[in-house]
Amino acid sequence: MRRALLAITGLAASTTAMVVLKGGPDTTQVAAQGLPVDGRPVAPGAGSAPPEATAGARPTPAGGTASPRPTRTTARPPASRPGAGTRTPSAPRTSSRPAQPSTRTVTGPVVENEYGNVQVQITLSGSRIVNVVALELPAETAQSDQRSEQVDDRYSGTGGLVVQQQSADLDTVSGATATSESYRRSLQAALDRAG
Amino acid sequence: MGTAISLDLADDLPTAELTGLADGVFGWLREVDARFSTYRPDSEVCRVDRGELAVADGSADLRDVLARCADLWAATDGFFDAYATGRLDPSGYVKGWAAQVASDRLLAAGAANHCLNAGGDVRVRGRSASGRPWRIGVRHPWDPMATCLVLTGTDLAVATSGGYERGAHVRDPRRGVPASGLRSVTVVGPDLGVADAYATAAVAMGVAGIGWLDRLAGHQHAVVTEDGRLLHSAGLPLTG
Repeated sequence: MRRALLAITGLAASTTAMVVLKGGPDTTQVAAQGLPVDGRPVAPGAGSAPPEATAGARPTPAGGTASPRPTRTTARPPASRPGAGTRTPSAPRTSSRPAQPSTRTVTGPVVENEYGNVQVQITLSGSRIVNVVALELPAETAQSDQRSEQVDDRYSGTGGLVVQQQSADLDTVSGATATSESYRRSLQAALDRAG
Repeated sequence: MGTAISLDLADDLPTAELTGLADGVFGWLREVDARFSTYRPDSEVCRVDRGELAVADGSADLRDVLARCADLWAATDGFFDAYATGRLDPSGYVKGWAAQVASDRLLAAGAANHCLNAGGDVRVRGRSASGRPWRIGVRHPWDPMATCLVLTGTDLAVATSGGYERGAHVRDPRRGVPASGLRSVTVVGPDLGVADAYATAAVAMGVAGIGWLDRLAGHQHAVVTEDGRLLHSAGLPLTG
């Protein structure tokens, strides 16, 4: 015989407590029919725009001879270019992603400091930085070297994954649920009702 | 206002015993509320805040909690701050701490398989009634009815902080402004109070919190940025 219990007590304000005692062998058979369909990516803002690859952006060999100005390698040419008269600038050449802001990659200069050379490449979607890649980091400082490897090991790419909704057979939900009102609207409340 | 507490006892024990264990948990949490609530003028926390009660004259729990908050303030470079709102408010540690103590007591009382959820802070031990390790969803930061990750384990403390909760914005105590950059931070570790404080501190740090979390020993984490990116440590106990 197993039991699932639910109580609402007032850690914040109220003093009343509600305890629901439920019996039966399948108290923890949490019904998942109320959960949203999985695999539906949400796109808050333009965060889902994948950084476009730029084959031309390679790290400049160390030596401090690089140009002090950033070399810009655009993944997509500007919409209007003087001299391109035979082409309608606004004609969509690829209709697959019409609404997304242009993504471009900017490679910074090689900067020397006491630890070695640093060069960074950023990818922008519109005016927002969506990815940062260190093309060159000091090799002689063991700590910084270890640090950059550690981050590479731990994260699947500097940009991370786009948040996706999941549905699963859950026992409970962790979340920033501060009030009883937000609790009522939560998946945890649905699980408690189903339990 | 109020905090929902969900307790799932999965041990095959007599009903009376299970009821007694649950009553013990909820009695303890009401006791904590009476002592630490910032909404009760007669709570110890409010009396200390008004200068009516010296900490040294408070209960052992009060002294212990405030000492831990001071430790966490130092461990988080000041980003976990029981005085972030300008008055004494240790709630960011108390909720997780109280649930951790309750879970410890359940374990000591012979209920080795349980799941306690205190306002989104989760402590699981053992297995669910189905016999498998507990499965803990992490709330999707833009959809209260969805999850963005599912964790699993037999001995986990999982705390999530986020700026998405209306009326509970995490503040950057150093600049005195609402924190920005991270939509949601989940910390997994052995102690729920510490995990909750770390998650709150990382949200307060903003994007710099990602690197800070990466250097935390003995903890795993998942972060959702304001622009919808999900980052997590390689050791996070994900399902599948």
